[in-house]
Amino acid sequence: MKRQIPLFITFFVGTLLILSVFIPPMETLGEDFTLFFDIIAVFAFFLGGGNLVRVHVTKLMKRKPDWGFSIVTLVGFAFILAAGLFKIGNPGDIASSVTAEGSWFQESFNYILNPLQSTMYALLAFFVASASYRAFRAKNREATILLVAAFIILLGRTPFGMALTAWIPESFSIFQIPNLAIWIMNSPNLAGQRAIMIGIGLGVVSMSLRLILGIERTYLGDDRA
Amino acid sequence: MEHFAIWVAAFLTMGIFSFLYKDNAWYKLCEAIFVGISAGYWFVTLFWDNIYGKFWVGKGDDSMLYIGAFLGLLMLMRLVPKIGWISRWPLAFIVGATAGFYLINYFSSNVMRQVEDTIMPLLGPDYSAGAYDIIGNIVIAVGTFSGLVYFFFSKEHKGAFGATAKVGIFFLMITFGASFGYTVMSRMSLLIGRLDFLFGDWLGMIK
Amino acid sequence: MFNCRRKSNGLCLSIFIVAAICSLSVSVKAQSETIDSTVVTDTNLVVAAPPTSVIASEYKYDDAEALELSWVPSIDDQLVDGLVLAYRVYRATNGGELEMIEELTPGNNNFTDHDLSGDSSYSYVVAAVTVSGEYSSNATAAISPEREWLNYEKKWLFLIALFITSAIMYFIRTARKKKLFVRKIAGLEAIDDAVGRATEMGRSILFIPGIQDMDDVQTLAGLTILGRIAGTIAEYDTKLFMPVSRSLVMTAARETIKASFQTAGRPDKYHDDIVTYVTDEQFGYVAHVDGIMVREKPATVFLLGAFFAESLILAETGNSIGAIQIAGTARPAQLPFFIAACDFTLIGEELFAASAYLSDEPRALGSLKGQDVGKALAMFVILIGVLATTIASAWHVEAMQTVVDTLSSVFSTK
Repeated sequence: MKRQIPLFITFFVGTLLILSVFIPPMETLGEDFTLFFDIIAVFAFFLGGGNLVRVHVTKLMKRKPDWGFSIVTLVGFAFILAAGLFKIGNPGDIASSVTAEGSWFQESFNYILNPLQSTMYALLAFFVASASYRAFRAKNREATILLVAAFIILLGRTPFGMALTAWIPESFSIFQIPNLAIWIMNSPNLAGQRAIMIGIGLGVVSMSLRLILGIERTYLGDDRA
Repeated sequence: MEHFAIWVAAFLTMGIFSFLYKDNAWYKLCEAIFVGISAGYWFVTLFWDNIYGKFWVGKGDDSMLYIGAFLGLLMLMRLVPKIGWISRWPLAFIVGATAGFYLINYFSSNVMRQVEDTIMPLLGPDYSAGAYDIIGNIVIAVGTFSGLVYFFFSKEHKGAFGATAKVGIFFLMITFGASFGYTVMSRMSLLIGRLDFLFGDWLGMIK
Repeated sequence: MFNCRRKSNGLCLSIFIVAAICSLSVSVKAQSETIDSTVVTDTNLVVAAPPTSVIASEYKYDDAEALELSWVPSIDDQLVDGLVLAYRVYRATNGGELEMIEELTPGNNNFTDHDLSGDSSYSYVVAAVTVSGEYSSNATAAISPEREWLNYEKKWLFLIALFITSAIMYFIRTARKKKLFVRKIAGLEAIDDAVGRATEMGRSILFIPGIQDMDDVQTLAGLTILGRIAGTIAEYDTKLFMPVSRSLVMTAARETIKASFQTAGRPDKYHDDIVTYVTDEQFGYVAHVDGIMVREKPATVFLLGAFFAESLILAETGNSIGAIQIAGTARPAQLPFFIAACDFTLIGEELFAASAYLSDEPRALGSLKGQDVGKALAMFVILIGVLATTIASAWHVEAMQTVVDTLSSVFSTK
């Protein structure tokens, strides 16, 4: 029973959502689902947030390595929850927006979260460089094709690419790197994208069916558990 | 106050960058702040948007909201060991809805739409295409076709079929290369943005 | 005359707006009553013919919430030297007052009115706007939107989806009797070795199911793969850890691992701390996972699910610690980074096929054969479609044009 009911729910809801696309009075079902999901996600956060607190409190209590940083995490977590939920430091009353300029919550975003996010994101510049270097050293044919295409597109997006091949006469202008880059984007790249997308579409159909039919069910746990 | 805040931002920025050298206490501190603040930030945003925004501001007049809340409460049953299994119901609901929603929408946008777009005259409408366009059109048709051959699971990649699959891989690699090359420049600009903050906003060396 | 000085601008504007609204409503009312009888008495007046043949009709395939409006534009609505500045659409609900609901640019000849109710009736007037005023059409007959129970416009989508799902279900059924052949997928063949390597080295395995929630089918694919490999991990008695960025994923992943450990006969090895929630925020999560990667140094890293810009940060960090990495995503933009930084990459469809492949369960394998039928159909249609449309457009062969038209209508999603 513990497993039969969830399997039935999956089957019923899945089938309903598929049919809703073809039945106008049910066509808002997809939006309703998004609404349900958003609300469930808030409730679920009590489990996730609770786990975060538990993990760090345990680390702290057991004096595991780096336990001092757990204090920072816990204090940061408690601080932002208090600042955001009680709107501490908000200009105006409690009815003002939580993200009002000057509020502790918003200032924390501007001067703590935003720089952290942007810098983490910016690390990509270094990682792109190291990944390119590795691709450059790869000796097999597939990697070479990938690298050549990447190189042409990269050059095509810089003035250097134009300068490099500006001597090519107009009648062969397709071989000028910026034009070649556009051609690659619009033709072979598009072909590859399409094959991948069609494959993904069919893969999703097949996997969704396996879920709806209950062939894939490990996410529901075990009856004995 | 703002001056202090910029120093904090600069301290955090350099702390994250220090990871490139190696893992260290400065990075660990930034990581700890990042995790704590961002997890709470996310919850606060969700609370004001989805709970306060929908139940209080929206007055909760939509009965659908309460179904969502009911499912959310079932989810919390996990906290009660004896009836924790009830939390599988909302999970089953989400999985069913996701599977159903994606099945038909992906089929429409990824399969039907892409097949529709691939059907085009190789020589252009009324012979109008130039030589490069014709080659481009042929490449699109051949590339899509052979790419699909590569994804076949139930047939071994041997003989003519295997050769076509190899052509398919060739196209896939060009696609990946193109995406890679296309992204490199934008990633560099992210770094320039952070350097601009450090040398401009913080140190005032760039005006 | 008014002297609109700076301080009284607000007042001035209000008076102007009120005056404009009053004159507008008077003119609309007057014109809706005396259509086609605009008398020109002032030579400065810019008079335009009103739109004609205004028809309100049922909007097809909706839930009684929309009506379609079409009209013949005013003959004075011309691209060059046209007198019409705009069209205004007015609506009267249940025989009430007309109210303006939309202003459209010249050249328009239709409008769809949404968010209506099937219990009310609506009548419309369309007015051509010139610098001198509005010139309105006759009011349409009152009409109520109707509810349709089936969307016939999507019949082909339904039938083709039905065909492919039937093919998948057929092979799921037949696979029970006869094991179907499935070609090798390199990344999946390597999983056992990757798990074994971690065991030999006495190091852990890190599993990342992407950064999206349970409402993304890629996350579900990641978790179904986890379900298959967690059993092997339990059998090898290797340490598994899984930081996640969503609370629901945490719950589902725990259920998945618990069930797999149970099936593998090692329920004692399961504990909740295998899966931990970090933060929903993309880069906060990445900062933590990167840190834990260099500290824990897992021998094997699985990156299977929906990834965005963080794909390369994670994969490069994994690479730097010398882990064997098996990645997979259905986000084409992130695939090149996985290919560059990981040992094996499941490309798009392979991610969704992986759990079936790993299960070695006949029914699941049958579904893979079923999706091949979909691919064969897509290839067949592309081949026939491209040939037919090329011949039809270059040599004007009518039979081919019929083929093209049929395929276009069948596969049209617009």
